[in-house]
Amino acid sequence: MITKFQVAYKNLQRKRTRSLLTLVGIALSAWVLVSLLGFNQGYEKALNQDIDNMGFELMIMAKGCPYEAATLMLKGGTGLKYIGESIMEDIAKEPEVDKAFPMLMSAVFDPNKGQSGGIAGYFGVDAKSFSELKPSLKFRQGKWFTSTDTYEAVMGYEAAELEQREVGDMILMPEKNVEFKVVGILERTGTQDDGTIFVPLKTLQKIFNRPNELTTIGIKLKKGVDSARFEEKLYKLPDVQVVSLAQVKDTIMKLISTAKVMVLSIASIAILIAMVGVINTILMSVHERFQEIGILKTIGAMPWDIFKLIWIETLILCAIGGILGIGLALILSKVTGILIRYVMPYAPSGGLVLIDLRLVLVTMAAILCIGLLSGLYPAWKAGRIRPLEAIRSEVAR
Amino acid sequence: MNQNNISIEAVNLTKVYSRGSEKIRAVNDVSLRINRGDFISIIGPSGSGKTTLINLLGFLDNPTSGELRLGERAIFNHGKHLSERELTKIRREIYGYIFQNFYLIPTLTVMENVMLPLTFYMKPGTEDEAVKLLKLLGMEHRKDHLPGQISGGEMQRVAIARAMVNRPEILLADEPTGNLDTKRSGEIVEVLKGLNRSVGLTIIMVTHNPELARCAARMFEMRDGQISEIDRKSP
Amino acid sequence: MPISTKKWIRSAICTEIFLMLLFVLIGHRGAWGAVGCDLNDPDRDVARLFPESTGYKTHYVSVDRKGGQPLLTKIETRLGDKFHGIYETIDVPYTIYEIFANKKGIGYIHGVNQKGQFGGIQVFVVLDLEGRIRGFYIQKMTSRYAGKLRDANFGKQFIGLTIKDFDLYDVISGKASAKVEAIKNPVPEAETDFRAALRATKKNLILMDEFVYSAQ
Repeated sequence: MITKFQVAYKNLQRKRTRSLLTLVGIALSAWVLVSLLGFNQGYEKALNQDIDNMGFELMIMAKGCPYEAATLMLKGGTGLKYIGESIMEDIAKEPEVDKAFPMLMSAVFDPNKGQSGGIAGYFGVDAKSFSELKPSLKFRQGKWFTSTDTYEAVMGYEAAELEQREVGDMILMPEKNVEFKVVGILERTGTQDDGTIFVPLKTLQKIFNRPNELTTIGIKLKKGVDSARFEEKLYKLPDVQVVSLAQVKDTIMKLISTAKVMVLSIASIAILIAMVGVINTILMSVHERFQEIGILKTIGAMPWDIFKLIWIETLILCAIGGILGIGLALILSKVTGILIRYVMPYAPSGGLVLIDLRLVLVTMAAILCIGLLSGLYPAWKAGRIRPLEAIRSEVAR
Repeated sequence: MNQNNISIEAVNLTKVYSRGSEKIRAVNDVSLRINRGDFISIIGPSGSGKTTLINLLGFLDNPTSGELRLGERAIFNHGKHLSERELTKIRREIYGYIFQNFYLIPTLTVMENVMLPLTFYMKPGTEDEAVKLLKLLGMEHRKDHLPGQISGGEMQRVAIARAMVNRPEILLADEPTGNLDTKRSGEIVEVLKGLNRSVGLTIIMVTHNPELARCAARMFEMRDGQISEIDRKSP
Repeated sequence: MPISTKKWIRSAICTEIFLMLLFVLIGHRGAWGAVGCDLNDPDRDVARLFPESTGYKTHYVSVDRKGGQPLLTKIETRLGDKFHGIYETIDVPYTIYEIFANKKGIGYIHGVNQKGQFGGIQVFVVLDLEGRIRGFYIQKMTSRYAGKLRDANFGKQFIGLTIKDFDLYDVISGKASAKVEAIKNPVPEAETDFRAALRATKKNLILMDEFVYSAQ
């Protein structure tokens, strides 16, 4: 016996080009939907990872908007406002604070990077406290600086790779013409640390003539401490601004939600367009098979049988189109990630497009539901065809 | 007459169509009795109402008035109107249909076309009917071919097999040889005669062609919505 | 709105900008994979290095995919030196830019990474169809004297040379054939980087010979 599924499937092969084009429409909209949703997921995850990787909960910086600092920085040299180390010492004494981490960020202009030069950034840290801040940080080669004011450097995995450095090699800080010995190279972390060159805090302060000055203080609170309460306390400090990374995450998440809504709107439009394509294809097919459907009724098909037949055709188109589109999204997810990174000024490290099983199933379900909806009208129309009209629709006798 | 011998009986059957303000009596007060195992033909010019009549007799349409009985059952009477669903139920129990244009599904093979009715409705005991019918009609060797790969005469045989697969009591043939040449037409009528003889199938055939009409045991003529039986001059 | 809320909104926005800054300045690269040597801006750089070009095609090759260990051994023998360290490996991806003028191939651009005294040196050779150097470009170098070695006058000394000339150059001792011997180091203090640039050029030409010219 031949099943309704087989009849429906063979019917679709009647007009192969048309079926194929409809399939492509569905596949493309499925691809867009999965990629955009995957990007949403991936971006959120990567961002969370980056922020969590910072290791501390609160950040203290000098007051003043970084816009200005950014412009000065990009022109070379320093420009960020600085805070005194004494502030850190005071904060570290607070009962709520577990640890405080001093950080100094400086940059120089390197004219020998490419045609028009580029910025070289250096991160001054206290090795002991930094390794406590990020206990999961592992070394591929070597270890941290031997003391607090040596001319030694620890490089992130990718920074070392770019400079072809191994432990024992030297690096040169342009503009200042200071040499450092590479004493450690970190394992790949998938975070911003991979591209960072770490030097001892005191050394960097000396080179840039910023004794006892910092750009940032990271604060790790003791367990159970009310972060918001402590922040209020810190607000009283003059000339500094306090940022809670949890709140940063929140803000960025809120921005992402706005983006999410936009993304979903785009995806919905894509799906709507595909749906219209499906309805059109199936309607045309029903119209062309007007007589044939009428005859099916004379050989015993009930209106519900015809309805099912047409509905199954719609489902087959959507299922195949959906699978193709999702497959395409999976294959191209890496490429899509690279494209996004190329286009966006800021993208967190790690995979940007995250397509997991749950997303695949949800998308497939969505497409099938939409398929069912799209097929309703054509199937209903087909079910209502009367055999008499079908027979009469040829030359009248 | 023994009621069990009657296949279909029409009493004062009338069908009226509206065309704008005009009312057309396509079938006008037709009474007809067809017995079980009869092979009848209905002949008439275009517009005579023969197609409308066969549609009524085949439960493809509702009459405007009159009675229509199947065996002992009165299906239509006193202006009763059946839904498409109800009509389909009757049709698939009792009837098989073949048409001038064959109407085979082009994407299904010969075997699949014949088995298609079973997808929607299968009478008990008809699982192997398709194979038997193809053999009977000499189409077994073509069972894996598509309709586009066989001749017109072969297509009509397949259509007949499809119409017969659910063991109908009555076969309605609407211009079955309309698209065939003389030789093939003759072959098809012989097939119908064979089925009529071997399984006692009741056949109602509508045709333009007087020669073919004469192949049936009983002949009727339809004119302006009214029917009259023609005296058979030759067997 | 309470003062504390205003404050944290402002600080949150500023922090986001600050974080962006941090990542941008630290030279964060998002892409993964073994480090190859690409032109920073291929469209601009190809037009500059091959003024008569109308287009280019990018090919990616690596020694392990092209011929595996036997090919590596052959290259090392020709180079007169083994591949060193954790970055000069068999799976390093090489980018070959095939240059066209009106659909006709006219030459190639190819770069290699080389370990320099203070950082990675990216050496690009610009070749014609016979494998002759028609251009020499150091895209990146970290050195007090990088300016002199990246100067056009230094690069001019390489023009017209081929792999045949470099075949006799000993990367370890520095002994060379006449033509390579003629390449002068403008900054004696940067001898390490000068020798590194020559080794990079020789390696570059050998790879091009193996990947492209021998195959033709």
